[in-house]
Amino acid sequence: MSRWPGLCAILLVLGAVHAAAVSTAQTVVAGNLNSSPNSDASVVAAVPNATAVTVIRRQGGWYHVRLASGQEGWLPMTSIRYNSSGKGSVVPGTDWSSLFQSGRSGSSGATATTGVRGLNTGDIANATPDPQAVVDLDQWQSKPGQAKDFAAALPLTAAPQIGYLPQVKP
Amino acid sequence: MKSRIAAALLGLTLLGLPLLAGADLGDLFSTIKQAFKPADLDTEIAIGHDAAATLLGASKPINEAAVQDYVNKVGLWVALQSDRPDLPWHFAVVDSDDIDAFAAPGGFVFLTRGLLLHMHSEAELAGVLGHEISHVVLKHHLKALQTAARLDLVSQGAQAVAQEKGYNSDLDNQLMDKVSSASRTLYSKGLDKGDELDADRMGVVLAARAGYDPYGLLAVLQTLAAVDPHSSSMQLLMATHPAPEDRIIALSAAMDAGKLEQFGMQAEGQERFEGVIKELIADTNKEKASAKPEAISQRILPAARP
Repeated sequence: MSRWPGLCAILLVLGAVHAAAVSTAQTVVAGNLNSSPNSDASVVAAVPNATAVTVIRRQGGWYHVRLASGQEGWLPMTSIRYNSSGKGSVVPGTDWSSLFQSGRSGSSGATATTGVRGLNTGDIANATPDPQAVVDLDQWQSKPGQAKDFAAALPLTAAPQIGYLPQVKP
Repeated sequence: MKSRIAAALLGLTLLGLPLLAGADLGDLFSTIKQAFKPADLDTEIAIGHDAAATLLGASKPINEAAVQDYVNKVGLWVALQSDRPDLPWHFAVVDSDDIDAFAAPGGFVFLTRGLLLHMHSEAELAGVLGHEISHVVLKHHLKALQTAARLDLVSQGAQAVAQEKGYNSDLDNQLMDKVSSASRTLYSKGLDKGDELDADRMGVVLAARAGYDPYGLLAVLQTLAAVDPHSSSMQLLMATHPAPEDRIIALSAAMDAGKLEQFGMQAEGQERFEGVIKELIADTNKEKASAKPEAISQRILPAARP
């Protein structure tokens, strides 16, 4: 029994390593790999449609990616799609999954089996109203002053001048 | 409005003409008119309370004060940038590993823990909350619930009016009774697709006005687009919303046209978000440690994202 803490530690490390593994994706349009995250930046390479890329991070509407050749640069975020996380309810490893002590799954990610708290259309269609739960929400409600202090702490600066977006045909 | 009342009267007439002998048509008209008036704020909040009670009846808020406090602060700060900053806004994370978020009239916004765990920064959370806040601001659910509840009332109205006068005084109570049943239908079937796309476009603007990187919502939609749409975790979201891919296409086109790229350098809030999530996970692990091994839940978890 005393080996469990050690085993857990190993699983956690494996999970962390897995989480550090970056996301894979592929391009859905041909485009240019830019040297910085803006459309006026110089072009590092031309990238054909369906090119496999590794996503390093996002900044605004751009992803910092690495190609199989090792070249790095920036692509508009909507020019790629993440590779599917697979069939059924099995989802690959995650930055958060490495922190959960799931007890069974290690670096391969969690498996949806028993005990998952579901919420489907049937649960809502057959729900019995719980008015007290609505009253109890007051305990967590924020006041405008608290929200403003919270925003200032990040800091967040309000930009009220930004106008609403009209509907456009894609 | 007049044409809707006329249509309702026509429906009433068709449904209940045989029962209307002796009923005062003037009373009938005022009854229907009252049922079709726009909701005042008190009525909206009452309807929202009923709808929220239905949603929380299906999934309770998680018992994590730090997480609930955090979501309320992010949510209120985003809502303060909207055209309805003075509503009594309430936000909550509900106890489900499946992926969805909900809004109810009067300022109620809920998201599942499963959706929260598919996010990677405060800007992503702000984008999702901005979408739900927009539903409230645009009164999408209010209008849908009122229409559903009224149609039900109208179909019963002919009989009620025919049977006794004085029906008017009970109208509000009857309307409220109808809201619970209409909520169960609305929240399991979803709004019109157009309402969802409208809320996406307004949601990113509210997040941007709040000082966040406006691409957070788009990033969440990209994460969800990689989750198997046939998995149980996506069942409710797919049944009630357009597919993530369709939303990405419509939203990114609008964001490009609106030149939101210039605000892409605004705050991401990744560290603050991660701190709250790590606390949530640590508490979940503590719960698991004290639970019996066979009761340990295996959760559906998101794919890694940078």
